[in-house]
Amino acid sequence: MTNLLEVRSVGKTFGRVVALEPIDLSLRQGEVLGLVGQNGSGKSTLLKIMAGLVQPGQGEMLLRDKLVRLNSPAEATMHGIGMVHQEQSLVPNLTVAENIFLDKPNAAKRHGLYRWRRLFEAAERQLKKIEVDIDPRAIVEDLRFAERQQVELAKVLAIEDLVDHPPIILFDEPTSVLTQGEIVQLFRQIDRLRQTAAIVFVSHRLDEILSICDRAVVMTDGRKVAEHPTADIDRDSLYRLMVGRQRATHGPRVSVSGSPASTEKPRLEVENLSSANHVRGVGLSVAPGEILGMLGVQSSGAEELCRAIFGAEDEMTGVIRLNGRETDVASPASAVRQGIGYLPANRHLEGLLKGRTLVENMVLTSGLDYGHGGIVINRAAERKAATTWIERLKVKTRSSDARIDELSGGNQQKVVLGKWLMSRRLQLLLLDHPTRGLDPGARDDLFDAVRDEVAKGLAVIFVADTIGEVLDFSDRIVVMRDGAISAQYDLNRGDAPSEEDLVRAMV
Amino acid sequence: MSAFRGTGRAEGFDLAVALRRFVPISVLVLLLGASAIVAPGTLSFSALTGFVSDAAPLLILVIGSTMPILTGSIDLSVAGIASLTGVLVVQLAPIFGPWTCLVVLLIAIAFGALQGFAHAWLQIPSFITTLGTLSMLSGLSLLLSNATAQPLPDSDPFITLLSNTTFGIPNTGYAVIVVVALLALLMRYSRIGRDLFALGAGERTAVMSGVRTIRVRSFAFASSAGCAALAGLALVSVTEFSSPTLAGNLLLLSIVGVVLGGTAISGGVGGLWAGVIGGLITAWLRVATVLIGVAPTAQYIVFGIMALIAVGLTTDRGKIGVIK
Amino acid sequence: MKLVAKAGEVPGQPASRSLRFPARPGRWLQSIGPVAVLVVLALAFQLASHNFLSPGNLAAIAEAVAVPVILATGLSFVILLGAIDLSLEGVMATSSMTVALLAANNVNGHHWGIWAIVAALGVGVVFGAFNGVLNTYFRMPSLIVTLGSWFIGLGIASVLFPSQVPGIRDPIVLGLASTQFAGLSLIVFIAVAVLAIFHLVLNYTHLGRMIYAVGGGEATLVATGLRVPLFKLAAFMISGFLAALAGLLLSAQLGDGNADIGNGLLFPAVSACVLGGTLLSGGRGGAIQSAIGAVILEVLNNGLIQIGAGPYVRNIISGAVIVTVVAISGLHLRRKLRIVK
Repeated sequence: MTNLLEVRSVGKTFGRVVALEPIDLSLRQGEVLGLVGQNGSGKSTLLKIMAGLVQPGQGEMLLRDKLVRLNSPAEATMHGIGMVHQEQSLVPNLTVAENIFLDKPNAAKRHGLYRWRRLFEAAERQLKKIEVDIDPRAIVEDLRFAERQQVELAKVLAIEDLVDHPPIILFDEPTSVLTQGEIVQLFRQIDRLRQTAAIVFVSHRLDEILSICDRAVVMTDGRKVAEHPTADIDRDSLYRLMVGRQRATHGPRVSVSGSPASTEKPRLEVENLSSANHVRGVGLSVAPGEILGMLGVQSSGAEELCRAIFGAEDEMTGVIRLNGRETDVASPASAVRQGIGYLPANRHLEGLLKGRTLVENMVLTSGLDYGHGGIVINRAAERKAATTWIERLKVKTRSSDARIDELSGGNQQKVVLGKWLMSRRLQLLLLDHPTRGLDPGARDDLFDAVRDEVAKGLAVIFVADTIGEVLDFSDRIVVMRDGAISAQYDLNRGDAPSEEDLVRAMV
Repeated sequence: MSAFRGTGRAEGFDLAVALRRFVPISVLVLLLGASAIVAPGTLSFSALTGFVSDAAPLLILVIGSTMPILTGSIDLSVAGIASLTGVLVVQLAPIFGPWTCLVVLLIAIAFGALQGFAHAWLQIPSFITTLGTLSMLSGLSLLLSNATAQPLPDSDPFITLLSNTTFGIPNTGYAVIVVVALLALLMRYSRIGRDLFALGAGERTAVMSGVRTIRVRSFAFASSAGCAALAGLALVSVTEFSSPTLAGNLLLLSIVGVVLGGTAISGGVGGLWAGVIGGLITAWLRVATVLIGVAPTAQYIVFGIMALIAVGLTTDRGKIGVIK
Repeated sequence: MKLVAKAGEVPGQPASRSLRFPARPGRWLQSIGPVAVLVVLALAFQLASHNFLSPGNLAAIAEAVAVPVILATGLSFVILLGAIDLSLEGVMATSSMTVALLAANNVNGHHWGIWAIVAALGVGVVFGAFNGVLNTYFRMPSLIVTLGSWFIGLGIASVLFPSQVPGIRDPIVLGLASTQFAGLSLIVFIAVAVLAIFHLVLNYTHLGRMIYAVGGGEATLVATGLRVPLFKLAAFMISGFLAALAGLLLSAQLGDGNADIGNGLLFPAVSACVLGGTLLSGGRGGAIQSAIGAVILEVLNNGLIQIGAGPYVRNIISGAVIVTVVAISGLHLRRKLRIVK
């Protein structure tokens, strides 16, 4: 078999962060290639480059031995490459038929006029190909999620009428939001497609990779670490490959807080907490002076649990107790008043006030803690507190009145952390992927500062990016999967899990 | 590529900041200078006092309108409130006597707060909320006054106070100073000031930092409505008549004033001071267009174009993905 | 699993299901709602005044609703994008002045005849293009752009205004209003034709469907490589064109050019759209829906006058309608972190 698509030393950096180190990959006609790796391993970036969504920083791609440049998803479509998105790319208020042909010319909409009947018939044909019974006249937003994914699949597959070679279909974690029955159905379709297309299938569920793919490529830290036919490999060796070289990065553990957690009453207790997004009846507790590390793949509920405790999720049910007293965290504002802080995973959207100075960013939350009677601002005092924290956190900046946009990501993150640490009310700090995009130096400064506060009695919940991080930095570890806790470990009591244990609990 | 975009945007942003900060005040100075050359009489004391009583209502209106715009919202109902104020003074005078103006002001503030609350709590876009209330308010003005101009009660102490002069300067001028001082104090010494800016600069961040958005928006709309009512009182103190369409053309002028001062329509940039400068420029432009012989009827064109230019210059295009 | 099952249409006729478009499974309530309101209102007023459903009054409603329907139809295009066009009143003023001064009149010697009509409509298209270019290519919010051009339009009209009211003498222009068929003026038929044509444009052309799509998912269209700015520009031009047509027809009715001709017609147009189910967030609704909204408002207005309410209640009602309908239709979208400016 010849290579349909060949990727040659394609790489990508965002700013100073290497998202994808130069990688080689080939895709043969009639095969399903599995791409596995943890969050941030570069598999998504690679997929986006192949779909024309991201331009590679270096390297080239060959389609049937001819060099191609994909400047946009539209160009990828014309070359016969389509992506089934995780977040769907359908226009919700159009019909199924219109969506299928949105990015393609079709005889039914020539000269700017729609011949609905012919459009519907053409769409019906496309839907028949994947054997789904969806009315092409239906409005997409009226469909259920799985049905929309079928439409998305039909839309991508209709590409094959545009080109004279087998289409290349990219699946970006298609199963993470499907039920078991829907997954079975999807797999049947992929099996059928195997005859006529080449497929790249991204997932973090190893069972799926093993059952549906012919070959598996394992990625870690932006690199391809292994490539095996799935027939020659088993679950456990895949785990080991996924955990990869992170194993070497964390040294012997030092007890983080040392304070025995059980003697005091918990700072935070959560019982049977559920929310609109992914959290399903979770219960946990954190003591003062304790760091609770959390692990979970995307949409496992770890992130969402933090946000729920901070009052930022909708439709919350369950009980939250702070220092033994039941409270109602109705909004982030009420969480802040009760001494809960949250360092967001998306720093740019939720952490920074762009165009404002460092000090302005820091005093936003708790400037009044330094004021008079909680009503009148004391500019001098809050400014002094802010600059003290800027120094303590070793923020590299020309001035505390520099605009925050000028700073590097790591320094910006320190400022966001400082915003919470300078609060005099802070009792519980939620760190949601705090090290995302940070260099190791900034990461250490960040952890040091948090450890200092923990030693003084702060309770911390920490959603980690990597396993190494969570092993380094936590007193206890909670692993989440599908919105519920799948494993718990108390490191201070010698209950130390292996990395394989943790990965197994995650996926 | 992303790095390149980053620096490009940062520089563009710097330029926009510089424009916003220095251009408005320079424009004002230039305008004053040019008018002084064209018609030396315009800077005489008597002409200036005339200017003050002419400009004061507009200035107050602009300062008020600045508040919601700082948060990224907009209040289109200000002209409606200003018009209704005059009508209400006439209607309510028999009931509240000397307290009428105060009552009307309080009603306006309460109405504004309610409007801000409805907009923020129900999550209805501000422009449609206030467009709707503008329609209701102007209908109410027409209904209550039966679409006729009515003389004000001549004994009203507050109106009399506003229409008098102190040290030769109209008292409405002092009213502007009081409003600015009051708002400046609030914005400097309570957290409301920085919360207003935070909403405009990055609402998600503000929410996730514990800013109480509904409260802040209510405050912004309450102050804009309060200012509008005061502007309405200042207007009728000059005309001595209340007319249901008195402030009709001030809607555009108030927004022109806000953007000419350098407050970005997308929020987060600008402030009280920008409002004052913008209001002065707008008021002076109104004088200047007459001075250079633009017919009063053509002023709409001038201000319409000014608004578009000012918004075009100050819109931070990097910030918004999809422009509706 | 079978999707068609939940569709609110007749089962058992798969391939040849009705070709009416758009087929909206499960949405009949949404589209029937406004019509039901209309029927209930009409019956209620009939009970209250006994004169409401008389042929004379129905004809009066038809005459009164013609221009609002045209305005609401045009505005729907812009609102479907998720944008807004506040410039209607300004465009109407300028088009009214244009036709009054270029057709045979009593203040100057022009008598362009049919070309005066073309010029007046052209004015609207130019305004629309101006709004569209500033909104799409200069990336300025439509709210501010059209607020500016609203006042520019009013200004141009008052600059054009001669020393006395320009009375129109051109028989073609006047004929637009005075020609009668079956007891109804030509204006009513023009309104029906406009509604029909632009309903077809929205539902049977690429342009129309893409205008819906822009309102539903602009980012997706951009990523797909479709030329979104052109669709937006066209929508603004259609809105301007129909506003100019409305100004023209009202001038023909009045027999003169008037800068105040559009006064108070913007709010009813916006609330007509909203009331008919054309959501301000874009992508939902359509010309027919907006027209039904306009009819409801007019019925309400007419009925209130019949039972003795004053003429100014109209503004109050349309304002209240806008806010209430937008609030209720958006209730289910409320989220803690949702940002609405």
